Amino acid sequence: MSKISIPIGPQHPLLKEPLSMMVDISGERVLGASLRLGYVHRGIERLAQTRTYTQNVHLIERICGICSHIHTTTYCQAVEAVLGVEIPLRASYLRALMCELERVHSHLLWLGILAKHIGLDTIFMHAWHDRESVLDVMEEISGGRVLHAANQIGGVRFDIDHDHDSMIRSALKKLHEQVAGLLDVIENEPALIARTKGVAPVSPEVIKKYCVVGPMARASGVNVDMRRENPIPPYDQLDFSVVTHPDGDAWSRTYVRVEEIRVSLNLCESILEQLPEGPVNIRVPRRVPAGEVIIRSEAPRGELFYYLRSDGTDKPARLKVRTPTLAALSLLPEQLSAIHVADIPVVLAGVDLCVACADR
Amino acid sequence: MIEGLFYLLLFPGLVFQVVCGLGFEWVDRKLLALFQRRVGPPWYQPLADMIKLFGKEDLLPTQANDLIASLLPLISLSAVLTAGLYVPIAGFSPFSFEGDLIVILFLMSVPTLSYYLAGILSIGIYSVLGGGRSLLQYFSYEVPFLIALSGPAVAAGSWSVEGIMNAQFSLGSFILFQPLGFLLALIGLIGKLKRDPLDIPSAKSEVIGGSLTEYTGAKLAFWHLVMNVQAVVGIFLMINLFLGWTKFHNPAIALAVFVLEVLLITGVLSTTSAVFARLRIDQLAGFGWRILVPLSIAQLTFVILMGA
Amino acid sequence: MTEINLDHLCNTLKSNLGCDCHVFEEIMNDKTLVIDADSLKDAVKLLDCEFDNLHLSAITAQQRDPQADDIEVIYHFYLGEGFSLLTSLLGEEHVLPSLISIIPGADFYEREIAEMFGITFSGRTETPSLLLPEDWDQGPPFIRKEDKDE
Repeated sequence: MSKISIPIGPQHPLLKEPLSMMVDISGERVLGASLRLGYVHRGIERLAQTRTYTQNVHLIERICGICSHIHTTTYCQAVEAVLGVEIPLRASYLRALMCELERVHSHLLWLGILAKHIGLDTIFMHAWHDRESVLDVMEEISGGRVLHAANQIGGVRFDIDHDHDSMIRSALKKLHEQVAGLLDVIENEPALIARTKGVAPVSPEVIKKYCVVGPMARASGVNVDMRRENPIPPYDQLDFSVVTHPDGDAWSRTYVRVEEIRVSLNLCESILEQLPEGPVNIRVPRRVPAGEVIIRSEAPRGELFYYLRSDGTDKPARLKVRTPTLAALSLLPEQLSAIHVADIPVVLAGVDLCVACADR
Repeated sequence: MIEGLFYLLLFPGLVFQVVCGLGFEWVDRKLLALFQRRVGPPWYQPLADMIKLFGKEDLLPTQANDLIASLLPLISLSAVLTAGLYVPIAGFSPFSFEGDLIVILFLMSVPTLSYYLAGILSIGIYSVLGGGRSLLQYFSYEVPFLIALSGPAVAAGSWSVEGIMNAQFSLGSFILFQPLGFLLALIGLIGKLKRDPLDIPSAKSEVIGGSLTEYTGAKLAFWHLVMNVQAVVGIFLMINLFLGWTKFHNPAIALAVFVLEVLLITGVLSTTSAVFARLRIDQLAGFGWRILVPLSIAQLTFVILMGA
Repeated sequence: MTEINLDHLCNTLKSNLGCDCHVFEEIMNDKTLVIDADSLKDAVKLLDCEFDNLHLSAITAQQRDPQADDIEVIYHFYLGEGFSLLTSLLGEEHVLPSLISIIPGADFYEREIAEMFGITFSGRTETPSLLLPEDWDQGPPFIRKEDKDE
């Protein structure tokens, strides 16, 4: 059969966010692909240089619609490091609580998308139903479903009381049961296994060469997690396991992410248990002294990198954001070759695209 | 003359089948919604969808032939409606004759071939891909489907659907003797209807809308109708061939049993589409030829040996 | 986890590549070496041999002095702990060796800063438009000195 090019994106049922790919196929085989970003490029890195540090907290939150909290957390940590202030312990615990809840809802969202792509709409509906309960919790404690505005430089803007605590605990308990059910489906549903096992395997060497991070790297057996490697409070006081799987195929990516939901649910519980008393924020000066800092943190999709340079004014001189999706995207054209057309959705889903993150 | 028109247009012809088709779609969607913790559509939603589609603008790519594109769904619709005329409904079959099973099976293949042509002729990339896939899928399920359906015919010693149905009064439902045949026929039916998990030719995340990507408006509405009526005829056929027990002296009981059996098979179809992921086309072809075909041949051999 | 001995690494680079190399102490929590653009690729090749877990986190480009044309490019690595290579591109023409033959994952990072700062990468085919529109004709959009003059 002759070669034809099919466009995937910028608008396509496969993609929830705009991304453009030209995929060359011959019959049911994929020969290769090229990729283009930029449809949701908002120039946030440059915009950040024209706004004050406080305004930037809200700008940075809008980088991503799924992992908005980890972005502000990392940014605030960077500014606090340059300022040389240490935030109250309770604030860092609350930040971590939101981060873990965010990871849970991000992974559930991802699982739903994968299920939708392989025609398993029931799992899609169930995963997103469960995700909604996480969003309810986040809304209850911070006031926002997706954009929480929970962070400020010097701490967090919310506090949880006894009612919140019991509400979160009951939601976590219910989620534990639901996730156990989902994991059961992933491990046993024959058609799902047939569609994902052995699809587009990636070796650890390739992961390292392409600098891929996060669950995708861990699914290939690369044991890397910035929460453990670069512990910022409270992760240095919490006990958690890093989920890895040696196979590197689409199924192990599914397994790793769903197991990570469980790890995060457990982390939420231990955060609630160990939550220290005290204030949730402190006052910080508006002017930031000159300095440069690098913060690496673990977003739901992997290592999130922030570089901040301050020149002593009230606006950052340079704010560099490298999101985990951008690292994973470079591997995508490589993965989209010598596979079946029907596997394109599975491969795309495995990357866990967050195009808004990658474009900034 | 009047009687003939009544059969053709009202019962068991056009109106009845279309109503059943829309009803099937609603029950199916409602059941699926229950599995997925959703509310599901109100009963008139399939009809509302049709009316809405009829009101939409009719567009086609400029290179595509408008006449053929319009004829294909109409030909398919008439083929499945004609097939529906020969399938007994609660024991009522005005047109039955010896060998009508063959005619029904032939007529039910027409939509699949039109679907393929629709994809190839409406030019778009996704249509061509979907069309090719539908043909590949046809070759995977059709052979085991036909062999499985000939099991009851051989056992009953008749190639008329009514004859097979009647034979089950004395012999008992064929599903009891040929459970494997029933299962194979059901898989074949799912493949024929391109339902989840065998919706490979129209998989949204892979080929957008498959063959029907370029179809809009009334033509698309007719295609939806074809799929629904085909589902209904297929379900009726399955009931007559494998379940039986739908012809009593009291028509009310016969109708009640018939409706019950229809709902049962619809339930099985909805459950299947809710719990399985979509297969890949090469996996389906392998599954069809390596597993389904040998099984169906074994089943048929068994039936022939038992009968001899 | 291998502890990075910055002075030792600096001396290794100096002796092996015969280039100028010194420690940069501005970045608070990352060990940083300054190296000139010509020996950058050899230095990364050396690092790749030295450390088996060389991970490129990001490439940052910036104008440290808003009044000058110079562009500073920082390669942020992670080797169990943060480590950066900093290089300055002086003058009007900005050319850097491409790293994609050693680290294919650098592809998108290079394309991004090529687009945003007008840096040319030698040793790779092209840097097609990644983020900006195809019909963008206003030059590299990022920090240029006129912004800071406002």
